[in-house]
Amino acid sequence: MNRRARSALPVLAGGLLVALLVATAAGSVSLPFRGVVGALLMKAGLPGDAAALGPAGETILFTVRLPRVLLAALVGGGLAVVGAVLQAVFRNPLADAGLLGVGAGAALGAVLAVHLGLASAVFFALPFAAFAGAMTAVLAVYFIAGAAGRASLHGLLLTGLAVSALAGALTSVLLVATEEFRVKTVLFWLAGGLEGRGWTHVQAGAVFVLAGVALLGLLGRTIDVLSLGEDEAASLGLPVRATRLGLLGLASLVAGACTAAAGAVPFVGLMAPHALRPLVGPLSRRLLPASFLGGALLVVLADLGARTLSTRFELPLGALTAFVGAPYFLIALRANEGRG
Amino acid sequence: MSGHDVLLSAHGLAVDRGRRRVLEDVTLGLRAGEALAVVGPNAAGKSTLVQALAGLLEPASGEVRLHGRALATWPRDARARTLALATSREEGPDSLSVADRVALGRYPHRGPFQPLGANDEAAVARALERTGIAHLAGRRLGTLSAGERQLATLARGLAQEPLLLLLDEPAAHLDIGHQLQLFRTLDDVRRRGVAVLAVIHDLARAAQWADRMLLVAAGRIAAEGTPAAVLGSEAASRAFGVRIRGHAVPALPHLHYTFEEAP
Repeated sequence: MNRRARSALPVLAGGLLVALLVATAAGSVSLPFRGVVGALLMKAGLPGDAAALGPAGETILFTVRLPRVLLAALVGGGLAVVGAVLQAVFRNPLADAGLLGVGAGAALGAVLAVHLGLASAVFFALPFAAFAGAMTAVLAVYFIAGAAGRASLHGLLLTGLAVSALAGALTSVLLVATEEFRVKTVLFWLAGGLEGRGWTHVQAGAVFVLAGVALLGLLGRTIDVLSLGEDEAASLGLPVRATRLGLLGLASLVAGACTAAAGAVPFVGLMAPHALRPLVGPLSRRLLPASFLGGALLVVLADLGARTLSTRFELPLGALTAFVGAPYFLIALRANEGRG
Repeated sequence: MSGHDVLLSAHGLAVDRGRRRVLEDVTLGLRAGEALAVVGPNAAGKSTLVQALAGLLEPASGEVRLHGRALATWPRDARARTLALATSREEGPDSLSVADRVALGRYPHRGPFQPLGANDEAAVARALERTGIAHLAGRRLGTLSAGERQLATLARGLAQEPLLLLLDEPAAHLDIGHQLQLFRTLDDVRRRGVAVLAVIHDLARAAQWADRMLLVAAGRIAAEGTPAAVLGSEAASRAFGVRIRGHAVPALPHLHYTFEEAP
């Protein structure tokens, strides 16, 4: 391992810390940086001085900014780890959670909740329905692919495409049939964003994301063996099909929780691991932590941009990551094909 | 085919790919330290045979035994510590380093969670040394030639420290220097009691290296015996559609083979 690989993790961690602090301080109401650091230190039981912040600033910091920024980090980290795992499992450096129907299923669930009027009546109904939709779509992909005797990678991919298309069709039918004043809620959600997210969202998301990411991290060497291809993994004693399904299940759980928390935040799962792999190598024990930090950094910055780039309204987070991610994807695709 | 020193054996083995039968009634045995070359024309079922012997394909009938015990009943990790497979169709990620790739061969010994210890590192170092790619340890697979990648796959197999090596065209992408090195490596591990079964396309090379030769044609064993006996057989000429001649050359310890298109 060279020096670049060794220094990648500390550099990413330091960068994330700085980004978290900057994103917490900056916003429509800008908080004094020293006050933010002081208040956080005091909260952690360390000597600090929050006087510069004032009581209003403190309220903004702890009830609005901090949960939102932490959720951004959680969502970004989770999506990036999922991307890294899927890229290894599908042995495709450009794979993403969208392949398994997570995004389309979550959208259908969310629209269904809004259509039935649950989203405004029941607290948390929308993210919960989105999560349930994502899981239903993924289960449908597994079972249809398995029943057709196509639990192969190729079969899973194609089934994922078909199920996504079906969920997309149902979503648009439901949207047309939904009262107009409700459509805006779901459109905002579909565009991806973290507006109005609080500690409850952080807690609910953290349970799934951190548990899933920790389990995936523990299975790092298994993921590495699987990335060698089906035959070689099997010859090394790995039960390939069961392992693959287990990993995809965990990955879907994390991706589903991220999508439920923040709506669609595309390309993060593709970009972070893809950009970090040349630096830290493809072994999970380095790529997964690096991806978590890199994805968190990416979404914290994107959310900062969503809040601050326009003074009149908040930009959709998902649109911002797509503005960066889509060109990145196209360039990476070109480089990938250039190698033949 | 009896005796305690038979490591791997197949008994009336038949294998289907989809609905097509590609291997029928294969019976063979492999002893400790033995070198068995599997030869045959394209699409004869050689790769299928290797995959079935490695336990990657379910037999349609018959069975494979490892140490006299049905292969299907072996725990996966114990099987992978006893039998290693290396093919020329490896698909490791391009950004993986050679050393890390070879170290994954320790998976059957350490499982998913146990950290690699000093003896694992020693096994990896030995495998790199024996395949002559120690100087490539830090390189990424994507920067290697096809032949070097193939040697890295073989090194992964050696790092498993198996009693049996199953190789599918191990010399496919190797230049002559690397070929000689490969077969020297295989002789070296055989001296330690490891049995080697290798699918080899180059008949002359196979005859030079192997103790025994197995000719597979149209999914069946068409001939078996010493290389001279198999290559001299009518079955070999028929399978390849060529005339095969072995010439004794005074300075050579083995026959020199020539091949001509059959009239």
